[in-house]
Amino acid sequence: MEAYRQEIILAAVALYMVFCVITGLWAMRRTTDASDFFVAGRGLGPIVISLALFSSTLSGFGFVGGPGLVYSIGVSSFWMITISTAGYALGFFMVSKRIRMIAELRNCISLPDVLAARYGSETVRLLVAITIVLGVMGYLATQILAMAVVMQAILSGTAMFADISLVACVAISSAVLIFYCVTGGIIASVYTDVVQGGIMMVAGVLILLTAMSVFEGGMTEATSIILKDDSEAIMPWGSAGIMASLGWFFVFGLGLAGQPHLVTKMMMNRKISDNRHIFPLSVMGYVLAALLWVSIGIIMRATVIDGVIPPLTLPDDAASVFLSVFTSPLLAGIVFAGLFAAIMSTSDAFLNIGTAAIIHDIPKAIRGKSIQNELLWARIVTVILAIVAALFALYSYYADATLVALLGAFGWATFAASLFPVVALGLNWKGATVPGAVAAIVSALIINFGVQLAGIALPYGVSGGLLSFVVSLFLFVNVSLLTKPPTLDRDIDRAMDI
Amino acid sequence: MGRQLIYVIAAICTTMTAVLLLILTAEPVANAGGSAHPVFAGMRIGGDGLARLEYIGTLGYAFQALLLSLIVAFATLGVSERHRTPRLRAYMIATLVFSVFILWRMVASHLNFIATGETSYFMGFPAATAWAMYGVWLGGIPLVLIYTLGFRQFIYTDEDQAEFERLVAETIAEGRENENCPKDAR
Repeated sequence: MEAYRQEIILAAVALYMVFCVITGLWAMRRTTDASDFFVAGRGLGPIVISLALFSSTLSGFGFVGGPGLVYSIGVSSFWMITISTAGYALGFFMVSKRIRMIAELRNCISLPDVLAARYGSETVRLLVAITIVLGVMGYLATQILAMAVVMQAILSGTAMFADISLVACVAISSAVLIFYCVTGGIIASVYTDVVQGGIMMVAGVLILLTAMSVFEGGMTEATSIILKDDSEAIMPWGSAGIMASLGWFFVFGLGLAGQPHLVTKMMMNRKISDNRHIFPLSVMGYVLAALLWVSIGIIMRATVIDGVIPPLTLPDDAASVFLSVFTSPLLAGIVFAGLFAAIMSTSDAFLNIGTAAIIHDIPKAIRGKSIQNELLWARIVTVILAIVAALFALYSYYADATLVALLGAFGWATFAASLFPVVALGLNWKGATVPGAVAAIVSALIINFGVQLAGIALPYGVSGGLLSFVVSLFLFVNVSLLTKPPTLDRDIDRAMDI
Repeated sequence: MGRQLIYVIAAICTTMTAVLLLILTAEPVANAGGSAHPVFAGMRIGGDGLARLEYIGTLGYAFQALLLSLIVAFATLGVSERHRTPRLRAYMIATLVFSVFILWRMVASHLNFIATGETSYFMGFPAATAWAMYGVWLGGIPLVLIYTLGFRQFIYTDEDQAEFERLVAETIAEGRENENCPKDAR
């Protein structure tokens, strides 16, 4: 079996892509209007939603970047995942019920729709839609590039595709992504998420078991090796220190409830009462999948220090080297398919909310009404958005990475800082005002963009994301307290009492 | 804890902003955010744990305690005001106490290691890291239990469901269900 490692991995990935295409065709028959395309007609069951929710949380970053971070900075990056239980809790306590209620009351199909109804303001809708479009471009470009780089690495290991170019890999992976997103919209997206979630949970457990067998003394021996080399790397704050760790704790914990691609999924369930099952299922799925992140990172750092394997060229190689050295070809195939699934599920979620912002929210904010024939335009804009993001990814790879790096700043941290107060607090506090929301969004964008543009390194590992989030929360609450409370529409007012 | 909750949240947010400013303006320590590993490219080391915490250790712990308080306050805000009963408040306070206990055990274990160079292991990790790894994860479990087991008591009662169904019916009867166009655009 070892002799066919590359072929087995390739077959697993190809199988997953074929599944995506078939799902797209199946979902197309269930997509009859814009509501189906963007929020699955609010008719999804608890298992589908919970798997879709956690698998969209853990993108390709969880498979590639996560283990790489543990290899590079030790325990510091654990704080991004250990906070997940509390992070999901805030999402469910603060967002899931009210967003679903307002979505049903006003037939909302996007997050800006819900916020426009809550605040009674087109300014809020426009600002949120612009933030989403900026974030989507950065996210999509990096995800498409990651998918193409991994595909090139897999294909170039086979005799038939040894010389395949990155451009060809971008074209193949984008084509599959575009096909099922255009045909099946969010319905195709969530059902591919279900398979992805399943693969990720299985992969997480199997990888943990494999990792524990690398050293005779199991994980304890691995962490002792790291401790002897540099104790701080395996102590609670890791190599990056207390403020970098707490920054991730803050941004990833609270910020989960501000991620548009996640909270939009909270609008899609059939019944509000399903939330009591969706919440624990999502947490359980995330914890199982995150075992991969922790165990690969620890084992790779320990094996390199111990001289078992040579140092990695790049920290992000941790997962692929682990899979090629320590796992069976079959498990490697499953995990690589999971990696593609992770990247695709995050990409399709972003394509969906980006398209909604462009064809639905921005026109509505500017003209007071959305465009005619939304479903047709949704499909056209999905194609255009994916192609622009793919070209953008190639441009950044071959010519200049600055623009993507800048838009990359509009990632998780910017969404967290700009949208968490507006969404999570706004849906639970009638005193939240439009000036408060505008202050929070604008300050978060300026600080994140400013820190990135000016290349400012804050002391003690404090990140721009943490600073912007703290400032944004402070401004949102205090500006709202100082400005006149809004008069809410009667239905929104009553929904906020429930 | 009714309408005053938002003032508690405002106070926590303001204090956190102040603590973060104090950290940003504290006496700098070289390589507080880690430095390159002397042998392995791509790896970073933390170095002297005590030195890194000298000026900001207490502030960092205070920041984390405030963050844990904020999480509990936000979760409470997410419960409808009329369901914030003494029982819910007791559960939320117990959740906060549990989280702060885990923080205290983690910090104490880490400082003990820095002082003695000795550590025990629990499920594959040094004691302090095990508190961070398993403890912090478990710290959120009471919130999962409150939400899941108390769903029909605190989150969405049968009366809430009936009230929402009435509201939806009224909205449809009034023909407002497609009116997601805000006041300032009408």
